[in-house]
Amino acid sequence: MLATEMKKGQKAMVRSFGRGRGMERRLFEMGIMPGTEIELLEKHPFKGPLLFQVGQARIVLGRNIAAHLEVEITEISLPSHFGS
Amino acid sequence: MSNVFEILAEMKAIGLKLVLVGNPNVGKSSVINLLTGSQFFASNYPGTSTEIEKAVLKINQVEFAFYDTLGVYSLYTDREEATLTRTLLEEQNYDLIINIVDASNLERNLVLTYELLERGYPLLVLLNQVDRTRELGIQIDVAELARILQRPVIAFSATNNEGVSEFRQFLEELGKKPDAGREKEFTRQGLPRIVLMEDTSCSGNCGSCSTSRESCSIDLDLQLAEKARKTSQAVSTFKTPAKHSLINDVQFFIDRPYVGTISLLLLAYLALVVLTKFISFSEGPISQLLEPLSNMLHNWILAIMPAGFLTTVLAKAIPEGLVIPFTIIMPAMLMVSLLMAVLEDTGLLPRYSVAMERFGQLFGVSGQAVIPLSLGFGCRTPAVMATRILPNDAQRFIVITLLSIVIPCAATVGVIVMISAKFEASLTVIVLTMLVVMTLLGLLLSRLSPREEAFIYELPPLRVPRRKNVWSKIKLRFAGFFTEVLPLLLVMSIAIRALIESHLLEIFNSMDALTKVIFGIPAEAFVAVLITIFQRYLAPLVLLNLDLSAREATIALSMIALSLPCLPVMVVTVREMGFSSLTKILLMGFITSALVGISLNLILPF
Repeated sequence: MLATEMKKGQKAMVRSFGRGRGMERRLFEMGIMPGTEIELLEKHPFKGPLLFQVGQARIVLGRNIAAHLEVEITEISLPSHFGS
Repeated sequence: MSNVFEILAEMKAIGLKLVLVGNPNVGKSSVINLLTGSQFFASNYPGTSTEIEKAVLKINQVEFAFYDTLGVYSLYTDREEATLTRTLLEEQNYDLIINIVDASNLERNLVLTYELLERGYPLLVLLNQVDRTRELGIQIDVAELARILQRPVIAFSATNNEGVSEFRQFLEELGKKPDAGREKEFTRQGLPRIVLMEDTSCSGNCGSCSTSRESCSIDLDLQLAEKARKTSQAVSTFKTPAKHSLINDVQFFIDRPYVGTISLLLLAYLALVVLTKFISFSEGPISQLLEPLSNMLHNWILAIMPAGFLTTVLAKAIPEGLVIPFTIIMPAMLMVSLLMAVLEDTGLLPRYSVAMERFGQLFGVSGQAVIPLSLGFGCRTPAVMATRILPNDAQRFIVITLLSIVIPCAATVGVIVMISAKFEASLTVIVLTMLVVMTLLGLLLSRLSPREEAFIYELPPLRVPRRKNVWSKIKLRFAGFFTEVLPLLLVMSIAIRALIESHLLEIFNSMDALTKVIFGIPAEAFVAVLITIFQRYLAPLVLLNLDLSAREATIALSMIALSLPCLPVMVVTVREMGFSSLTKILLMGFITSALVGISLNLILPF
């Protein structure tokens, strides 16, 4: 599934990124690469950006970037207001 | 961002040279400020530093020059920040790289560390923000990390001075060693130059690619990332979950899409209220204090100079040019510096760009633009200064143009409401015109900014602003008041006075037929519009005495509302963006004003 289809509070493993090398590189620098676990923290309305927890960092991805990020759900956690 | 070559030339002459390298927002500037007592801009969001900065520290007669580079996630990024850092590192003119690592985000930060190690650079790892890391419940085994990396590692905190003495001691030792000893201590290999992979060179289809797998950098990247992950796991122990802290709760609230965004907007509104109140409170006393001085100056110029055009101009312009900066610009600069420092230091600022991303896209700017735009409704002078929070000059130009031409400040609204009441002009038409112009201008301007199609951003953790940091920023931002703002305002005030007093604008008075056909207003009103465009506070003086119909007043007021910025805004724009930008904005202002007049004349019924 795609990262944009994730629900708030879900954790997923990144599988691949289906777009140009340059963008893949930028995601890599943010710690997002195949095998990384990401958690969807928030989804902004009106096709706004998505907020992910990646390690100890909070990474925001525009909808058009997240739409190319192939992920696999690993765990469904209850949405928590105070994070992991 | 082009000072890298100056720095390289200069480096040849100095004793011990240390280059700070690290991810964005790990606290490089804070570390340098703490160690050397210098005052570089340090903020809580990625990308604060935009130039390589230098600071010097002297220990036991040995000079240590610190070079603060721009934050990079990787040496191999195809972006300007990384290019500059690479250029600096490749020349190998330095003695040691200090790799600042955010201890709370070790795994990702170590990727850069491994990139540096891989190239054989002499390296010290400064494990910054260890205080925050402990709060998060993470313990890092510093000795083990040093063993794995085979480089010295110092646990550090720029917030509570942890590790400062240890680091100084390290530098002392380094200073004592003769050059040869230093060379030996760190392996230095003459590696080939870093070659960047072309963006298009990977199809992702490894079987049919001509590049061999070994030399394909994404594979190497992943290997480094794997190393970083293993090292991070080997040295970190996760203890009990993070202490429950108020700031964490606030952060989760602010980062939520609906309530968070509303809170951010309310906060921007609060900033606007505080700014407006502060200016109106301080304006009275300051102008009362300066009034005798201003009158004295006026009379003195009249007394010592022979009567004539020049004397009239100077007698009016000099007191004006000296009083306006103190009554309006000075309080505005102070307050807006404070507001900006707080927004930057808390980490709230980048949250605006996330929450307002969709809004900003309309104008081709970052969501952070809501801050200067909303401040503009109070006073546009500080709003122009506040555009510094925007990521690049193209965006700043867009926002300053919007501020100058369409955003009405409190004073403008006051003048327009007052005059429209006298002539029964239609406020609805004026407001609608402003909205239409704002949309059209926004659409037009958004084409100026190269659209950043990828929105990838790391949100910094929220934190309580540090008083010292806020104070030093206010001082830095206020520094230009006496040296730049004051003289500039004086000069421009004289120029505008000369234009008005020369009665040059009144040649339009004989063109009644022309102005009536084009703009639908009498020539007298057109001249009044022109004068008001230059000096808004003269509006009541020149407009109220005219005999205008409601239609004429509506057109005239719309033309005034959508025209040029006031004098202080012009001055600040020159200071921030230069004369050529101001010229462009003024030109656009004139064109907008004329188009508004022409269009309304065509649309409005008689």
